[in-house]
Amino acid sequence: MAKLRRRAHRYRDEVATRARQQAAVAALGQRALAGLPLEELIEEAVGCAARELRTDYVVLFELTGDREGLLIRAGRGLPGGTIGGVISARPEQLPGYALRAQGPLVIDDFASETRFQPSPLQRDLEIVSALAAPIGTPHGQFGVIGASSRTPHEFSPDDAHFLQAIANVVGAAAERTRRDDLIRDSEQRFRELADTTPALMWMTDAEGHVTFVNEAWLRFTGRTLEEELGATWAVGAHPEDLEGLLDAWHAALARRGEFNTEYRLRRHDGSVRWVLALGLPRYEGEEFVGYVGTATDIHERKEMEDALRESEASFRELADTAPVMIWTTDERGLVTFVNEGWLRYTGTTLEEELGPSWSLGVHPDDAPAVISSWNEKLAAREPWELEYRLRGAHGDYRWIADRGVPRYEAGHFVGYVGTAIDIHERKTMEARLREVYEREHTIAETLQRSLLPERLPRIEGLEIAARYLPAGRGAEVGGDWYDALERADGRVALVVGDVVGHGLRAAATMGQLRNAFRAYGLTEASPAEVMARVNRLVISGEDEAMATVLYLVLDRETGEVSFASAGHPPPLVLSTDGARFLEGGRSVPVGAAEPGIFREASAELPPGASLLLYTDGLVERRDTPLEKRLNELADAAGRAEEGLEGLCDSVLSSVLGRQVPSDDVALLAVRPRPVTTEALRLSLPAEPESLTGLRRRLGRFLHAAGASEEEAYEITLTVCEAAGNAIEHAYGPGDATFEVEATFESGTLVAIVRDRGAWRARRGAHRGRGLKIIEGLMDDVEVSTEPDGTVIKMSRRLAA
Amino acid sequence: MTSAEVAIERQGGAVVAHLSGEVDMTNAARVREELLVSIPNDALALVIDLDGCRYLDSAAIEVIFDLARRLGRRRQELRLVLPPGSPLSRVLMLTEVHSVAPVHETLDSALAQ
Repeated sequence: MAKLRRRAHRYRDEVATRARQQAAVAALGQRALAGLPLEELIEEAVGCAARELRTDYVVLFELTGDREGLLIRAGRGLPGGTIGGVISARPEQLPGYALRAQGPLVIDDFASETRFQPSPLQRDLEIVSALAAPIGTPHGQFGVIGASSRTPHEFSPDDAHFLQAIANVVGAAAERTRRDDLIRDSEQRFRELADTTPALMWMTDAEGHVTFVNEAWLRFTGRTLEEELGATWAVGAHPEDLEGLLDAWHAALARRGEFNTEYRLRRHDGSVRWVLALGLPRYEGEEFVGYVGTATDIHERKEMEDALRESEASFRELADTAPVMIWTTDERGLVTFVNEGWLRYTGTTLEEELGPSWSLGVHPDDAPAVISSWNEKLAAREPWELEYRLRGAHGDYRWIADRGVPRYEAGHFVGYVGTAIDIHERKTMEARLREVYEREHTIAETLQRSLLPERLPRIEGLEIAARYLPAGRGAEVGGDWYDALERADGRVALVVGDVVGHGLRAAATMGQLRNAFRAYGLTEASPAEVMARVNRLVISGEDEAMATVLYLVLDRETGEVSFASAGHPPPLVLSTDGARFLEGGRSVPVGAAEPGIFREASAELPPGASLLLYTDGLVERRDTPLEKRLNELADAAGRAEEGLEGLCDSVLSSVLGRQVPSDDVALLAVRPRPVTTEALRLSLPAEPESLTGLRRRLGRFLHAAGASEEEAYEITLTVCEAAGNAIEHAYGPGDATFEVEATFESGTLVAIVRDRGAWRARRGAHRGRGLKIIEGLMDDVEVSTEPDGTVIKMSRRLAA
Repeated sequence: MTSAEVAIERQGGAVVAHLSGEVDMTNAARVREELLVSIPNDALALVIDLDGCRYLDSAAIEVIFDLARRLGRRRQELRLVLPPGSPLSRVLMLTEVHSVAPVHETLDSALAQ
């Protein structure tokens, strides 16, 4: 007992350290998200590492511009004048070596280190042990953070994981700073662009109402800003195109996807022009706020295409006067003509362009796609269309949208005719918008990954597998998490949760909730109590956070589970009887109301059963009712192959298919490891309530030993009858205990029940029934009286 | 916690008690009370359906003997339903439950008597 308590104590210390480290990373992540300048964030990161790791030194190096040196940017415990110095970034020394490493490095003792030589800094500081983590960004190495000591220091895997998490947050913040600089420049350019560009531009709010159109748009339509605002921008569309246009627009708006359509728009002079309208969803923080879009006049191009179909002769005449870029090829795909517009754009001569040379000005990165798609379409004589970068007259590459259609004379294929338009401004704007948006995605994902356990804790007697799938690119990260921990009462707590909302704040809230469940979940509180406590914490916090959570406590030996679901989808039990959901114990999400009324329910896992917990990214899809998706999940899980890893993989692949999930998915699968048949030894209080637990434990043991259902029942009954006798004859309530021992060897099960009282056969006809059962169901029964009590030894040979 | 449930239904002259879960020394007394109060004086028989029952110990079997004795005094009959192949069969046989209450394989056959 004392040993158990010591173990629980040590475990609690480890968890407490880990929870504190995670809280520190979450806090640092939040500072990064709040836009703390990089300089200050680095200072905080170094301070945080020094506080949590308690080493003599902490140093943060930044790779210099020439990538040859490492600048000592910040540190703790360093002698004066060290910060600001530059050391070598060569991989022969630890900092340079760590810079290129994929993960954290632990150096227990430099004296026995063979991977690199000592650096002057290390010699000066007399460093013996060190921990170092690379700071990376999507654009390459940023630097290294290290913690080191003058005396031997043992770093745990958790310490290494913690320092790497700190490094990841610094890396994400460095990347954000870099992008912010880029964006600040382009923001300026964007505004200038908007009113000077010949492109028509518009913006809408989240409902799709126009909030802005640029000068060019007003000049084109001849309307005033007041007339345009608020209305849908489809005003002025040609009646024949209106329906298709609105369908396309609403479809895009509904899924907040890219919008792309061609339609005819009425110009101020009453004429009707073909325009290409493009729109991209806009986000502010994590909130969808509407669209930004362009409309490009493609009327000439459209006319041209029509004219081409009619007459080759009038085409050439028309072609040279048009501002559009036009080209034709022969049936082999060799260029036979480009118009003045093309030559003006490229700054080349007609002679240079003719023949097989037209792909010469294509940007090297785009050339393979241009050539392969062109060859493929040419061979099939199908229309070809591509956006790519083409070198302009001043040597700069600009985006163009190029397309060609096959042309026929008297039924014979004679080549292609194509048109191209400059879409550079639109493309630049698209790219800029994406960057703004992806920046947030990256930092939130980094934070989220830092907070999720790299690998789940090893819990004795429990198999665990987990998966975490971030939503696809272009979607925002969510606040999903999972966790598993051993409670003070020896049971296991499993948590799966999903913070309402997406993006930065959700990821940070997730970190806090995870820690709260770690703290409260370790106690012996019931699931509903744990929920109520976390709820109180969330409600009293500043953030208006809300989350759906499933908190479940599992007794590994008896298979008993009790759980509370705060608005979360139900856990799934998989056993030989098939798959079924654990219903009940449902209440509102955490953070929704105070006082929250939380309910709990309990159930029992059949021997050998697995339990699957998940977040709704797995089962929620807009076009399918939840119930249907749950059934699909149960079916998929029921068909899954053996083993938890296989279960996770098959569930993900059959429920999600090949598609990348549109929301984050967290999945946690556990299975109490079958009790080994080595031996079962229990010491239980001598009271009737002990019998239930004894039955469950024996049931599992016998199941593992291969007993049939009938044998399991009969042996369990026998042992419980003997135990019942021990309970009745115990000295009375209080400290009395009885012991049960079961072993299984060469096909025979032996059970021993020991108590501290004297064996007495129960009196009376019915009292003797217990003894009758014991004797009738066991092959052999021995009762022996020892000085301090009675021992009943029973054995039975199993059929299988 | 050991838990058992008793669901009562009236079938003509008989009262059917569907006993499910587990019965041991911790809850046998409660189960006995529930069964006793379920039988009105005008009922001819009590049929205990053990189909959903996973565990009975000697205390539970004692309840059956006790019920048979009490019902017998009231000229009411006790019948049991235990599907063939039930893990409980051998224990009921060993304790000679059939000497006080006939054991039927199906509810229909128990009610047909």
